[in-house]
Amino acid sequence: MDFIYSMTTCTAAADVITLADRAAAAVDTNIWLSILYMVLALVGIGALTAVLGVVLIYAERKIAGHFQCRLGPMRVGPHGILQTVADTLKLLLKEDVVPASADKAMHFAAPLMSLMATVLVLGVIPYSPILQVTDVNIGILYVTAVSGLGVMGILLGGWSSNNKWSLVGGMRAAAQMISYEISATLSVLVMVLFAGTLSLSGIVQSQESGWWIWRAHGTGLVAFVIFIIASTAEINRTPFDIPEGESELTGGFHTEYSGLRFAFFFLSEFINMFAASAIAATLFLGGWMPFYIEGFETFNKITSLIPPALWFLGKTAFLIFIFMWFRWTFPRLRVDQLMRLEWKILLPIGFINLIAAAVIVLTKFYFFPV
Amino acid sequence: MTGQIKKEIRKVGLKDIPVAVVSPLKKAQSGLCALASLAKGMRLTFSYFRRPSKIVTQQYPENRATLKFPPRYRAMLKLIYEDNGYHRCTACGLCDKACPNGSIKVITRKGAATGRVELDRYIWRLDSCVMCNACVQACPFDALEMGHEFENAVYDRRLLVFNLNRYAGPPASVMLKTEESLRPAMMEKRDRYDGPVPLNGAQIPIVKPLISQEGGL
Amino acid sequence: MTAIVRTLDDVLIAPAHPGRGATQEYFLNMGPQHPIAHGSLRIILLLDGETIRKVIPVPGYVHRGIEKMCEHLNYRQIIHLTDRMDYLSALMNNWAVARTVEKAAGIEINDRIETIRTIMAELQRIQSHALWWGVLGMDLGAFTAFLYSFRDREIIGEIFEEIIGARLTMNYIQPGGVMYDITPDFADKVKKILSYMKRMVEEYDTLLSGNVILQERLRGVGILTQSRAISLGCTGPVLRASGFAYDLRKVEPYGAYEKAQFDVVVGTTGDCWDRYYVRIEEMRQSIRIIEQLIDDIPAGPTMVTKFNTKIKLPPGRYYNHVETARGVLGVFIYSDGGEKPYRLHFRSPSFNNMWAITEIAPGWRIADMIAIQSSLDLVIPDIDR
Repeated sequence: MDFIYSMTTCTAAADVITLADRAAAAVDTNIWLSILYMVLALVGIGALTAVLGVVLIYAERKIAGHFQCRLGPMRVGPHGILQTVADTLKLLLKEDVVPASADKAMHFAAPLMSLMATVLVLGVIPYSPILQVTDVNIGILYVTAVSGLGVMGILLGGWSSNNKWSLVGGMRAAAQMISYEISATLSVLVMVLFAGTLSLSGIVQSQESGWWIWRAHGTGLVAFVIFIIASTAEINRTPFDIPEGESELTGGFHTEYSGLRFAFFFLSEFINMFAASAIAATLFLGGWMPFYIEGFETFNKITSLIPPALWFLGKTAFLIFIFMWFRWTFPRLRVDQLMRLEWKILLPIGFINLIAAAVIVLTKFYFFPV
Repeated sequence: MTGQIKKEIRKVGLKDIPVAVVSPLKKAQSGLCALASLAKGMRLTFSYFRRPSKIVTQQYPENRATLKFPPRYRAMLKLIYEDNGYHRCTACGLCDKACPNGSIKVITRKGAATGRVELDRYIWRLDSCVMCNACVQACPFDALEMGHEFENAVYDRRLLVFNLNRYAGPPASVMLKTEESLRPAMMEKRDRYDGPVPLNGAQIPIVKPLISQEGGL
Repeated sequence: MTAIVRTLDDVLIAPAHPGRGATQEYFLNMGPQHPIAHGSLRIILLLDGETIRKVIPVPGYVHRGIEKMCEHLNYRQIIHLTDRMDYLSALMNNWAVARTVEKAAGIEINDRIETIRTIMAELQRIQSHALWWGVLGMDLGAFTAFLYSFRDREIIGEIFEEIIGARLTMNYIQPGGVMYDITPDFADKVKKILSYMKRMVEEYDTLLSGNVILQERLRGVGILTQSRAISLGCTGPVLRASGFAYDLRKVEPYGAYEKAQFDVVVGTTGDCWDRYYVRIEEMRQSIRIIEQLIDDIPAGPTMVTKFNTKIKLPPGRYYNHVETARGVLGVFIYSDGGEKPYRLHFRSPSFNNMWAITEIAPGWRIADMIAIQSSLDLVIPDIDR
């Protein structure tokens, strides 16, 4: 039960241990310990979701405020820290209005599907060598598959509300998210080629000698840019937020939701943003791997003093800031422009990138050691 | 974005008009220019993010002490009281006529001491006043001003009808001509909510019910 | 082929299209309550998928009977109602009525009054275009633009507050002059504002005009040809963007516009981008006008008639107009010789501009509809009065 993290040998493969591993190891010796680990995992993910919701929504409002020459929430608690708590209380106490002619079962299920899809992704992200719920050996493939379920939530929400505005929003969302998954997957594949493994902590560990964003000979940078653009579209944020385009469709697919169910949609959008940032950080920026430079041992010693969980958090926070920066600067794209961007611009570039990466990896034609 | 405008002279009717023609956007920006334009926009918003000194909003209830109003700002209507406590209103009724929606009612009475018409009640309705400043402009005696009190929200609409004069009586010019001892007899105190009951005849404690009087509403 | 529509029910029966993949058109109400409706304007869209087939605007939700109210008020009292029509060009609305009354009653005003009116009107034009820009950004998804433009409006609003006393409903330009004289430091403050606004218009260009996403949203969308614009009676930047250089400030100069040199900004194709950029350039031209006028404001009284004199127009029909930020606002007064107009009618610019949507929107998508409506710069209280 060694929870003390050893700072000098954080990168050795033997030191990465997930909660699932611990549970599996304890099954034979002490079944209750095993169950404790499983419960810890569940509670941890739940707590993470809640904390992320509170922090991210507050951060979004404050950051939006500062981009716009104003302060953001300031009233509830010092500098508005308790704003999200107040919002959550309000949403909990709100009347749950369901349109009379809505499809009740689908209307009920849609926000749950949305939330489920995002929370499932949270389970496989390596937050630090000792903080990971489970390391599925098809890690990134699992992430791509499960986040596709989020589309179902939005589609169901749009359809079941029995509202033309919601329907238009839902249809747009389906088209958008399905298209951009392809670009996202293509850039993910580049990283898989270089790392040689699909498992997320394997990818992190393969970045020990440098993060893939620069180590992958240019294809990494291109893949990163494509992944960020595709992720912005996946999580329905400006400039790709037409499904919920407030100025056009009132509320898009979540027009007819109020109270806790709206809170689920809202929450799943922000957790999605965190998940997308976390995956991008894991694939391209090294996950929990500190910033090492080959041959500079003292520098490496200094950077490894910062706990890996903090590295992970820092990188993810930086990417979240980039997402928010996009939202508060750009107007949104029209549906056909969005489709054109994906199918005519991002997809060809992604394919060429993938082929180039494949050539580099197979021929081992490296400019510097990989 | 300069270089998008061409200047020329066009004829419209009989006139030669200098014209700046906006050139049409024929085609989209190409890849790298497009990304550069996005980056410039991001740089602009970030330049405001990193400078908290550029924040322009004020935290309202906390900054009441430092709020500054320009002198001409129009909020609550007031009668101007001179240092001696007398107003300047002669009840000529010009403000009453100038008000576009009847938010002012000047009720006059015959002064017992002077025998002339003087102000009895100056009723002003905040619930219909549009702060157009016509009354202030119309007054030939400079008796009115629109003051700076803007926090006028009430829970009961009937409290939006005021009496603006503190006393019923002649203006300062007449008062200063009479002897000091005779002055209290010429004035009668008036309360702020002394006016007629505006709605439905209901009774509320601080507003006296309307009794028929000359010049009443 | 056009069908005569007598009632709304005639249009509300959606025809199905057999043999075209069995799609059916449906109605969507961009109703009076809508986040982006710039006021309470109900627009009924007949949609086929996302493509618009027909646009039916239903105005009237903000009708307050201003023209009828004016029949009971004398010529000074009708000014405060004009503030509330197109509230973004309140001073220009005041000026329209003041001009009409002065011309009809034969009141001669001096150069100082004209110059002050011109400067105030141009300041308000900058303010109005700044708000339009911010709202266009917000409609198209760039929320930050809205806040930047409101911050800049505040700067101009502060000078209005100092001189006039009010920020929105001014009631400042009266028949016979202006209500208050300018303060001694007016010129310095305005010059500071002008240099600030010059920088800000550059920033507006950086944030939105140069942005490839916005350019793609507005380029080639909603083309209004010059002949259709003239037939529909569109005026203002909508007409000028279609290529016709009609600006009342040049064609029939009033106020101090003849003393200042400025260009009339004109577009070429009449698409949304032209309407957008024409207004941005108009902001620059307004700054130019004020720069030329601010330094030598002639001396003289600011009110030629005393406030309490009755203004009586001789019997007859009078019409006069000004160029507001939206277009030509015309005031028609039919007087029967009394203190109050017998009938007063406003020819409002947004009313004609609004009907342009029915011509230019069909064939485009919902998202383009938003862009078109924003680029037309409608103020709904002006339509409904």
